[in-house]
Amino acid sequence: MKAAVQVVFCKCCTEVPPLLSMEKLTKQATATNLVVSVVTADAVCDGKDVKRVVAEAKNKEVDRAVILACSKKDFNPALLEAYKRAGINEFLVDVVNLREEAVLPHASQPERAQAKAETMLKAAIDRVVTRSPLQRQSEDMKTKNVVIIGAGVAGRAAAEEAAKAGAHTVLLEKSGRSYKAPGVILTNSQLIAASGYGGNFQLKIKAGEKVEELGAAAVIVATGGGWTTLKGSLAKAVKEALPLYKFHEQMQSGAAPKGPVVFIDTPDPAGKALKVRDFTWDETLETALELKKKHPAVEVYVVFQEMRAMGLTELAYKEAAELGVRFVRYDRTGMPKVDQKNPGVVTVKDASQDQLLNLRFGTMVFASNPMNEDNKAIADALRIPMSTDGGIRRGSIQRGPVSTPRPGIFVCGSALFPKTRDVAKEEGEAAGALAGEFVKKGRIEYGGVVAQITSEKCSACLTCVRTCPYEAPFIGVASKAEIRVQACQGCGMCVGICPSKAIELLNFTDDIIGEEARTLLGGDF
Amino acid sequence: MTEQKPKIVGFCCERHGMDAVVLAARSGKQSDASVRLVQVPCTGRVDGLHILKALEDGADAVFVLGCLEKNCYYDTGSIEGRKRVGYVKQMLSEAGIEKERVEMFNAASTNAWAFPEAVAKMVEVARKLGPIGGGERQ
Repeated sequence: MKAAVQVVFCKCCTEVPPLLSMEKLTKQATATNLVVSVVTADAVCDGKDVKRVVAEAKNKEVDRAVILACSKKDFNPALLEAYKRAGINEFLVDVVNLREEAVLPHASQPERAQAKAETMLKAAIDRVVTRSPLQRQSEDMKTKNVVIIGAGVAGRAAAEEAAKAGAHTVLLEKSGRSYKAPGVILTNSQLIAASGYGGNFQLKIKAGEKVEELGAAAVIVATGGGWTTLKGSLAKAVKEALPLYKFHEQMQSGAAPKGPVVFIDTPDPAGKALKVRDFTWDETLETALELKKKHPAVEVYVVFQEMRAMGLTELAYKEAAELGVRFVRYDRTGMPKVDQKNPGVVTVKDASQDQLLNLRFGTMVFASNPMNEDNKAIADALRIPMSTDGGIRRGSIQRGPVSTPRPGIFVCGSALFPKTRDVAKEEGEAAGALAGEFVKKGRIEYGGVVAQITSEKCSACLTCVRTCPYEAPFIGVASKAEIRVQACQGCGMCVGICPSKAIELLNFTDDIIGEEARTLLGGDF
Repeated sequence: MTEQKPKIVGFCCERHGMDAVVLAARSGKQSDASVRLVQVPCTGRVDGLHILKALEDGADAVFVLGCLEKNCYYDTGSIEGRKRVGYVKQMLSEAGIEKERVEMFNAASTNAWAFPEAVAKMVEVARKLGPIGGGERQ
């Protein structure tokens, strides 16, 4: 196929024209027979210039374009859209970041910057000519279901937000408790298996005794923390000790606490199995304050290694101290211990007064909890990564703070790491809004730069299947690997690792990458 | 003169890697012009073959710039990239070529210093070792 390339120079950035010689670049561009049109625009982000550039492209019957401007993310998408409307394939338009790669970092070496820019232009023209036009496809979502795992604070907040966007929410709650939330709540239910990709998931759910299939467009993981489990030496010594979560629930129901109450930051003061989490300080302060206000006669001790109240919670610290909550700080030289011979007394060295204290208690409350034990099963079913301490790990921050690496699966609340109710609620709202927005589109777009397999070369070694984080490659009926295009994100990890070189990434083949490196090395700068 | 202009190829991921390059430039950081950046979707796409070909085509040093390992856009991409770089290093030392010529770097998109530091390190290596085989560059 004969290629006709248009080269567009953007003079918008004031740094570019004084340093680089535009005439030389234009001359170099016109020297190639493939380039049929060279346009210099004052600012391609400007609507007038977009019209002029595209009119010229139509006039000269251009089918590829190279734009020398700034970063692709800052670049005005209007020009790319206009090219698309003019019938030029979006994958054949390339933006060369002249400003940030050649001009700004080499301002003190204008000759080298000029040579570099010329070489970059040459490489870009070569690259755009060797690329092939790709098409993006779309597929309708089969349902509008958003499945939320966990009907806790975060899960319910997510359901509210997702329902606002018109999604059908289905909450899976492990316990038999029913909550008020939009959509359906399935009690005594849990996720056991999942397949599919963002937009069209197939979930297997155990509801009561029955196993049901459920289609879902998006999934939100809101499992929460392991609020009711206790782990550590102190928890072993004091059998009737309570987690903070349970104590708070009991207090809310109106039950008076038994004897003096001791709040300890962690049941494992040595910190071998469990770390103190930052949320514990705020929650402990607020619970202790509430307790002291409700039952002023009860003695309240807060035993902690350090107290770092966040934001306005510091006021709670002050108020609690004024109301008579006793704060005892300990360190590694005198950690809290409970002797088996004297079970109602905790011995701790007050670090600020260097004095051994024996505190008689009726109720012992621990603030730190381990992560939810269900996370492992859910992460395995949805094939999402876990953090080292047993939480769900979020994806790259560029995908967003409540997103997992897999599109269509969101995570919020204490499933990530334990946090306060307020923060969990806000995260739930964020995840719900994102899932709602995702479902509202009604269809998923896929294709473009994706992996492609040459079946003849494939030896079905499963390397790609194991490497892909998105489950795109699978072994098909012919015992050869195939790519599920809807799931492919175009990262090319399977391409680099395939021992038989059976996979290639469209528009990023070995030849194109190697050729680009060679062209760039050919320049003298 | 040849000492002044080493040839360095950088394979750079489109996500955090490229963002770090852009941010470095915008923060006014100056870096050596001898770096040729090749954009790849993810450092997991980089094959040992690409690095070896680049060295064969005349590069004095090659580096790979990807996302931080726990913050990779494609989850495990930069870990894969590091594995490939390690593999190439091993091959180079078996062939009697200095393995310092190939290096992997990680950057977050907010690390303005990561890219200039990587460039400075590779330029130093290339200047110290000269062209592969000790010959004169044409």
